[in-house]
Amino acid sequence: MIRYDDIVIGSGISGMTMSLILAMNGHKVLLIEKGPYIGGSMARFSKRGIPFDTGFHFTGGLHKGGILDDILSVLDMHDGIEPVFMSDDDANSFVFENDGKRYDMPYGIEKLKLRMKAYFPEEACGIDSYFDKVQNVCKGTPSMSLGTLLNKFDPLQEDYITCEEVLTGITANPVLKALFSTFAMCYGVKPNEISFANHSRISYGLYESVARVKNGGAAFIDAFEAKFRQYDVEVRCGCHVTGMTEIRENMAGRFILNTGEEISATNCIFTIHPKEVLKVMPEQQVSKAFRARVSAFEPSAGCFSIFGVLDPGFDEPGYGSKLVTLLPGTDFNQMLDPFNEGDSALILVKTLEQVGEKKHKVIVAIEPSFPEQVEAWKDSQVGRRPEAYKEYKEKKVEHLLNRIYKYFPGYRGKLSVSDAASVLTFRDYLHNNDGSSYGVKQKIGQFNLRGRLPVKNCYAAGQSSILPGVIGAMMSSLIVAQSLVKEDDYAKFLNRRPRR
Amino acid sequence: MTEQEIIEKVNMVFEESFEKDRALLKPDAHIFTDLGLDSLDIVDLVVALQKSFGIQIREEEKIRDIRTLQDIYQFIIEVKNKKEVSGS
Repeated sequence: MIRYDDIVIGSGISGMTMSLILAMNGHKVLLIEKGPYIGGSMARFSKRGIPFDTGFHFTGGLHKGGILDDILSVLDMHDGIEPVFMSDDDANSFVFENDGKRYDMPYGIEKLKLRMKAYFPEEACGIDSYFDKVQNVCKGTPSMSLGTLLNKFDPLQEDYITCEEVLTGITANPVLKALFSTFAMCYGVKPNEISFANHSRISYGLYESVARVKNGGAAFIDAFEAKFRQYDVEVRCGCHVTGMTEIRENMAGRFILNTGEEISATNCIFTIHPKEVLKVMPEQQVSKAFRARVSAFEPSAGCFSIFGVLDPGFDEPGYGSKLVTLLPGTDFNQMLDPFNEGDSALILVKTLEQVGEKKHKVIVAIEPSFPEQVEAWKDSQVGRRPEAYKEYKEKKVEHLLNRIYKYFPGYRGKLSVSDAASVLTFRDYLHNNDGSSYGVKQKIGQFNLRGRLPVKNCYAAGQSSILPGVIGAMMSSLIVAQSLVKEDDYAKFLNRRPRR
Repeated sequence: MTEQEIIEKVNMVFEESFEKDRALLKPDAHIFTDLGLDSLDIVDLVVALQKSFGIQIREEEKIRDIRTLQDIYQFIIEVKNKKEVSGS
């Protein structure tokens, strides 16, 4: 029987990264995925031949020397991952729906500062102060760069102060405060619940550059699959770990699959939701305190998404990759509250998708949403949802479309909706426990599940471990792998930059 | 909060969250060798103490120096005193 060095559980971006890092370091790796194919929310889906992104829409860090660019270098994965940078002049537009006022934001910190000062000349000092604070946090955080990744991390003062408190200290202007807070949409936590440090660490990359990837998340999946063949990573879909056995001195010898099969491995790395990890930890190995800590984690925001296509004949000059966010107000604490009954921010991700000779103008509209909003139907499953749920979805789609038409009246009658997804859709298709987009809510002062688990040869990584998003999830694997690979070898591995 | 109340509450955390026998909870009990915690349990201990006392523990260095129950009592007493002095 085969004995693996490592079993990696969950094949989202973190699990794929973890599997490859270990295999590149000479380990024999088995990657296990509960769903029918690998990739988690990196996967795309197609309707009538047109591809749509599920969970990966855009990212920072892909510019030369950026963190994601650097990670791809270490993993030797630049082939097949082609960044499509958004316009550096107006990548992000924010429209306040009450007065129609629009703010076009470029990227590049200096450019961004200038633009914001042009919009808010009387707030110039506050704008400088905000970006200085963000940059200082990132400079003081070793995991923000591969060169310092293995250095010891001491929490910063800003890890113990909320984003809200810092912003309130900087400006009294609610519109400016909202514009500073907007990337809360990219981690799904209210400004009064997240630390300023984590807000900064996530937002910084998106202030530097905003890019999509040609073929979206599918490009990552294809690139990883090619690497898995090269490094003999074995992949099994449609199965998951249900428990562990042969436990001696707090170490598990074998891991039990849902098929009944037992797999023998030296280590097991979970990149799945922490609450799913808790389910497979043997009860006698886990203290009540551990159980209480994991059980208390709250979900980050999920989303309600509409996947639409503009008529081929519809002409919009300069249509290309762009983000437009419609804001019903300035209060992100309210917009990201699970019990918010009003509208929330609505991000439109506009992209041009080439299929064969044809180019399709695709719009994915994303509004934060929470399990609380679909609570009534939480026990239903895909294909067997009650009528009331279908009505909820239809009404929601209609309402969101009306918001879009109000700002883009030309889209009325021209935008056809291919599909829509609620928090429950994401939960069930992606097997992600609660339907959240960013895993566990990163609350101030929280101790995440990261690294070694109560069963000593088990480890946790993933977007709930350090920070959410593609970069956070990949970094978690790079950091946790440190415990699994010989130290000297690993430092060398992180320093390698194969030719491009 | 009196010192005795603090001691009682810390002991409750060990009894309830780590299922330790009350008879073992003596001030000089070593949390690793006598009470069987390991380095991983420290995070859960900190979270449980934060919740139980309604405090935020950030003095990482001091936490790493903790060896006995008495060290924990002393640590909480100091944090509590600081909190009361600052009035927050």
